[in-house]
Amino acid sequence: MSKDSQMRVAINQKLIEMGERERLKELLRAKLVECGWKDQLKAHCKDVIKEKGLEHVTVEDLVTEVTPKGRALVPDSVKKELLQRIRAFLAQHATL
Amino acid sequence: MKMEEVSMSSLDNSKLEGLAQDILSDLVEDACLGLCFEVHRAVKQGYFFLDDTDQESMRDFEIVDQPGLDVFGQVYNQWKNKECVCPNCSRSIAASRFAPHLEKCLGMGRNSSRIANRRIVTGNNTNNKSESDQEDNDDVNDNDWSYGAEKKAKKRKSDKNPNSPRRSKSFKHKSTCCLFP
Repeated sequence: MSKDSQMRVAINQKLIEMGERERLKELLRAKLVECGWKDQLKAHCKDVIKEKGLEHVTVEDLVTEVTPKGRALVPDSVKKELLQRIRAFLAQHATL
Repeated sequence: MKMEEVSMSSLDNSKLEGLAQDILSDLVEDACLGLCFEVHRAVKQGYFFLDDTDQESMRDFEIVDQPGLDVFGQVYNQWKNKECVCPNCSRSIAASRFAPHLEKCLGMGRNSSRIANRRIVTGNNTNNKSESDQEDNDDVNDNDWSYGAEKKAKKRKSDKNPNSPRRSKSFKHKSTCCLFP
């Protein structure tokens, strides 16, 4: 494994072990609910379901339809805040 | 050497930035997947469309936003200017003053006994004149913040009312005073 990927693995491991990843996840979830992202996406899901039919919709359907839109709809302020926290964590714990 | 260090650190910075972006991307994907699973379960368990109501009901219960009405569309100050007729004295009283007026008019409630006591006293001091004034006193007593109320308060202080509990209090005080010369 290259040095880069080694470092990545180490960092990700640290993120999980220290509980920071879970905290970041919760923070992101809360922010997305607050800004209405969840409701927007749920409305989009409704359309997808009505299109595919209530009985036949699968998880894959939802994922392929919803994920790209979900990524695009995240507001910049939320992204900024999360990135700040991640960078702070990296600055503390990344050994180069 | 310094130049190399600078370029090295900027490389690392861009690497770190890339790493941060990747981590964010992972987190967002987790959030999306979480939502998909949540929705899928709701669909399969049958409670996804539960909070939807038909269009007609939505229109029926829509929030009302007009002046003079509350959110339910009811007029909320229509009793402000209405007047009620007192069954006792047959006068027309404003709705917001009706309850206190009844209290005094019927001779029930806490304050009416005090007022009655005061009337007895003033009746004794200035006989006929105050008795005929009793009806008008009612008006004075109805207005909490009028000048008449101030008069009433002042009168109370100089009152030597045989019926009020205050009399006995001052009595007590007098007796204790005597103990300490």
